[in-house]
Amino acid sequence: MALPVSLRNSITPPELELVASEELVEIIPLISIERTAFISGAYGPLRPPNKAKLPLWIAMNLKMKKKCHIVPPDWLSVDFLQNRLAQETSRPEFSEFPFRFAEIAKLLLDVASDDIQNSDKVRSLLKDIREARQAKSRDGLQKIDHSELGLPNLCSMEINEIRPFFVRAMGVLTHLTRDPEASSRRLDV
Amino acid sequence: MAGLPSGPAVPVEPIALDFGAAAAPETLFQQLVRHWLNERHAPDILPIQAEVLSALLDHIRRQTDTVQALRGDPDSSEAEHARIMLVQTEVERVKFVVRSYIRTRLYKIEKFARHIVATPEVQERLSQAELDHARRFAQLTESHFKVSVLQALPPHQQRLDDNTPFTPPMISEPDKSRAVFVHARDECPPVRLPDGTTMQMQKGQIVLTPYAVVEQLLAMGNVELV
Repeated sequence: MALPVSLRNSITPPELELVASEELVEIIPLISIERTAFISGAYGPLRPPNKAKLPLWIAMNLKMKKKCHIVPPDWLSVDFLQNRLAQETSRPEFSEFPFRFAEIAKLLLDVASDDIQNSDKVRSLLKDIREARQAKSRDGLQKIDHSELGLPNLCSMEINEIRPFFVRAMGVLTHLTRDPEASSRRLDV
Repeated sequence: MAGLPSGPAVPVEPIALDFGAAAAPETLFQQLVRHWLNERHAPDILPIQAEVLSALLDHIRRQTDTVQALRGDPDSSEAEHARIMLVQTEVERVKFVVRSYIRTRLYKIEKFARHIVATPEVQERLSQAELDHARRFAQLTESHFKVSVLQALPPHQQRLDDNTPFTPPMISEPDKSRAVFVHARDECPPVRLPDGTTMQMQKGQIVLTPYAVVEQLLAMGNVELV
C-alpha cells in the first residue's frame, strides 16, 4: 500500500519531531567548520567559542558526536516553566508556548540534557504542564459542536494527541445535525 | 551554485541564491513541509506542488553530486567529513519528506481513483504521471471486479456506479465534512460555517472545523493544516 494504515489519518510524533528539528537553536561549537550551503540555507562558519545559530537537527547531530554544546532556548528553564505552570493551573485558558515546544523540549532533553540546567526538574515541570493542559483540552470537548471550535495556544503535539477523538466527535455531531435537516425536508414534501 | 566549497582555500559561497529571496522568508523545503502536512491532514487531494518538487529534486541532485565529488578526495580533514555528513543527512531528510508527500498523494489517488476519472476538476490537481496512474488503476480494478465477480451476476447488478438511495455511493468520494485543525497564516477573509454564521480567522488562530469550510482558504495559502 502507498501509505501504511497507521499514517493515514494523522501524522506521527516522530514526523512532528522531524518538522520541529528544522527550527533554529544556538550552539557553542567545539570544532570549526566552514560555512556550508544546505538545501534549507547556508549555515556557519563555526568558530569556537563563538555562538552560532543552526537548525536543531544539525545541532543534535554535532552534539551526539560531542562537537558542540547546545544553548537551550529561554523557555526551557526551571524559572520560566515554574511560572507557566502556576499560570496554567490558576487560569482557565491555555498559556502561551512556542508552537512546537513539546517536540523541541523532548529532543533537547534526549540529546543534550547535560546542557540544560537542572534537567530533571525541567522534565518534571514539563510533565506537570502537559497534564494541566491535557485536562483543559478534555474540558474543551464539552464546547465542541458541528461547525467550529477555537483552540487558542494549543501546540502541535497536543493537537496531534486530541486529533482522532475530536475529529470523530465533530464527525458524529455533523451527522446528527445533518440528518434532521434531511428528514425535515422529507416531511415537508 | 557550489553546494559544498571544496576546501578552506575556495571562497565560501554566502547564501544559496535560489533560497536567498529575502521577500519570501519561507524556504523551498519549508514550503514542501507545509504542503506535505496539508496533504496528510486534508481528506481531499490537493493541487500538486510541481514547481516546489522539481526545484527541490534539482537541489538534491546538485548536493549529491557535490558530495560524491568531495568524497573522492582522500586527504580531507575531519571537519570536512563532518560537513559532508551533515549535507548528506539533510539530503536524506528532504528525500524523506518528498517520498512521504508523494506516497500520501498516491494513497489518495488509489482510494479515489474512480472518482478522479469521473471528475475533470479533480484531474487538474494531479500531475500527468499521477493522472495516468489513476486511470490505469481505475481500469485495472474495474476489470478485475468484472472478471472475478460481476460477470457472474445478473445484468442489472453488474454496474459499478449504482446510486441507490439509503446506501453509500459505489464511487467513494473524499469526505469534505471531516474536521481538520486549521492554523491561520494571515488574516483571513470571512468564511461561512455550517451553522450559518460566519467566521473570520485572525493570524495565528487555531480552529477545528470541517474541511469544506476552509477549502478555499487552504487553496489560497491563507491557512495551513496542523
